[in-house]
Amino acid sequence: MTTVSTWRWPTPSGWPPLPLVGGVLALLCALWLTAPIVEVDFVRLIGSLGKMVGFTGQMFVTPDWNYVPQLLAKMLETIEMTILGTAIAIVLSLPMGILAARNATPHIAVYRLTRDVLSLMRALPELVWALVFVSAVGLGPLPGVMALAFVTVGFMGKFFAEAIEVVDRKAVEGVRAHGAGWLQVRLFAMLPQALPDFVGTVMYILDHNLRAAAILGLVGAGGIGYDLVMSMRLFQYDRLLLIALAIYLVVTLLDRASDRLRSRIIHGKQA
Amino acid sequence: MNIHDLKPARSQTLPPKPRNPIPVWVTATLAVLWLIVWDLEISFETLAYGVEDMGEYFSRYRQPDFSNLSRYLELMGITLATALWGTVFALLVAFFLAPLAARNFAPSPLAYRIAREMLNFMRAMPDLLLALIFVAALGLGPLPGALALGVHTAGFLGKFFAESLERVDKGVCEGVASTGANFPQMVMYAGWPSILREAMGYVLYILDRNVRMASVLGLVGAGGIGLALHDTLRLFDYGQSAALILVILATILIIDYASAWLRGRLG
Amino acid sequence: MSAISIQSVTKRFPNGFEALKGIDAEIKSGSFTVVLGPSGAGKSTLLRLMNGLETPTSGEVRIGGESVDAHKLRHIRSKVAMVFQQFNLVDRLSVVTNVLTGRLAHRSWVGSVFYLFRKEDMEIAQEALARVALTDKAWNRADKLSGGQQQRVGIARALAQQPKVILADEPVASLDPVSSEEIMALLREICDRDGITVVVNLHQVELARRFADRIIGMNSGKIVFDGNPEQMTQSVLRTIYQREGIEDDNSLDMALAYA
Repeated sequence: MTTVSTWRWPTPSGWPPLPLVGGVLALLCALWLTAPIVEVDFVRLIGSLGKMVGFTGQMFVTPDWNYVPQLLAKMLETIEMTILGTAIAIVLSLPMGILAARNATPHIAVYRLTRDVLSLMRALPELVWALVFVSAVGLGPLPGVMALAFVTVGFMGKFFAEAIEVVDRKAVEGVRAHGAGWLQVRLFAMLPQALPDFVGTVMYILDHNLRAAAILGLVGAGGIGYDLVMSMRLFQYDRLLLIALAIYLVVTLLDRASDRLRSRIIHGKQA
Repeated sequence: MNIHDLKPARSQTLPPKPRNPIPVWVTATLAVLWLIVWDLEISFETLAYGVEDMGEYFSRYRQPDFSNLSRYLELMGITLATALWGTVFALLVAFFLAPLAARNFAPSPLAYRIAREMLNFMRAMPDLLLALIFVAALGLGPLPGALALGVHTAGFLGKFFAESLERVDKGVCEGVASTGANFPQMVMYAGWPSILREAMGYVLYILDRNVRMASVLGLVGAGGIGLALHDTLRLFDYGQSAALILVILATILIIDYASAWLRGRLG
Repeated sequence: MSAISIQSVTKRFPNGFEALKGIDAEIKSGSFTVVLGPSGAGKSTLLRLMNGLETPTSGEVRIGGESVDAHKLRHIRSKVAMVFQQFNLVDRLSVVTNVLTGRLAHRSWVGSVFYLFRKEDMEIAQEALARVALTDKAWNRADKLSGGQQQRVGIARALAQQPKVILADEPVASLDPVSSEEIMALLREICDRDGITVVVNLHQVELARRFADRIIGMNSGKIVFDGNPEQMTQSVLRTIYQREGIEDDNSLDMALAYA
């Protein structure tokens, strides 16, 4: 008896379902075709393992303690950029969100236009916009903040519009029945309902923006990123270690805090 | 309990009205933001000039120069391939780590802690930083980029998967457990089938995200279209830059629509 | 030898609730036992101890002479099948696959994690489905079935394990009277034909009277009655369903009058 007849899938034919087989085959095919493009070479990968270990080993040197004050200043700058960029984006995304929500928009054409603008804004990563803004307003944290805010509006506007679209119809009609005007309905009936969702999203965005801000310096848009690249290029592993640790620490702290906050919002607030 | 006990209503007063904390919060937030603006030395003059110039500046991008289009498309292809490999790598890692990092499936508390910490660590490392490290170790090319994307997003996918697995109905888990299934069997029968749809959504989201990120990885020498954009911008070649940005934008929008369509079909 | 032997078992939950306060019982091989009692009497905990879903705080449960402990769980569970109140099927999997999960303990994980089953296992599953009269629904998704049908799939899964013991935890509490009747008859038939020991938790006194060989009455963590259905008089029922601290319970009399 062959293996084919002893082993079978729990389907009428005994073979895996066609969509699954097709999907897996398509994926394998795509991987096989793209392998040379990505230069996937397992020999090279294994061969470089030693190099990788060596490189990681190099990172564990005595940290350059003299660098700590500058590190702290740069990390602070990174965090400040994150907060400012996110805050600006929140303010801008509220009106954008209202315009892009099917049930709140003044006109369907405005809805479509705003949606498209939002998806254009979030289409490119912060770093690309940072490149563009650096060429526009010069080096420093300003283009970084602009890039962060720009992309974040794209995301927040969409999230916010979706949160508004699922608000309870009845409450909105209740407020409207009391003679509330266009703006009042949106401010007093839709916004408060959409807010809890919104807070959860803000934490995600803050998290994302912090990571993004940490690398914006790569193109001269402020923050720790510049020092990161320089210490990399100059092989200053004593600094690199500190920078990597600092980024890891701040990101992890924010991550934990946002996890806690989110679960508090979801499971109801305990005083 | 006697009804007369409730009588002395005169001494009862309403509890003090809770103070509305919102104005305090708003003021504090504004103060912090003002402090940040001051500390970052953001001058509104620069911004104003910048905005004034912005119109003029962006008008330089008006005429995209598509003379090198085939080269750009090739670079975009590399970028997409990098994103695909990164996502598949992340999927593989997350597939094995997530069940260990889900409290209700983990075979032991120790395995749970280790898996959680590994996922947290991978997530905390920004992918460009990882790309820098992998480029240093592996040399230039798309492979270090794919690895960096993979490691970073494995952390994300693993966390998403683990959270979904933790939401699997307790009864369903017990149903399969009561037959004597072991850990891998539990994961394959009670775990993945229950969260399949959610999981597909997450994978599409991560693929989407990786395409965006792959298009900037070139900045650190990890292949793809990002390096070309960096170069043309540095040479103030606005025509070519505009063409590159348009190529990236078009690709990302196509992927966006495709994944929205797929998600709609799955949901 | 008795199929199940419960020796001075107590169970205290981490929140301090004492579900079982010293239980001793021997259950004969091939018998049909019903455990009766009010909600919170500890019936469910007792059943879950026999499958290892809970571990006793003290005492021991032995199945066919083997102690139920964490190290041999897979082995014990392969012989002790469980049927649940909420059916606890995997919604997204087909009926057959759900039944096949009953074979998992008998096979190594290598093939089963790829959903590969042996032909024998498929035959066992088909046979189990035929027993519960669901052959025509075999390829449907489990969540597309009615409650009564889902519970029959649950029983087929238990049968596919080819167990020595089937434990059923309130198997009919979520079902309508007609389906309840069907499920109980099915369990009785399995007990009679295959000689499988069946232990069922029930709320319905009348069903217990009609199907059981032996009835164990529980109240607040203790066995208060143990005998055959004929011995279960109105005064016995009063002891079983007595509420703590209430001497003269009118609603109890009312309820039992119609039981």
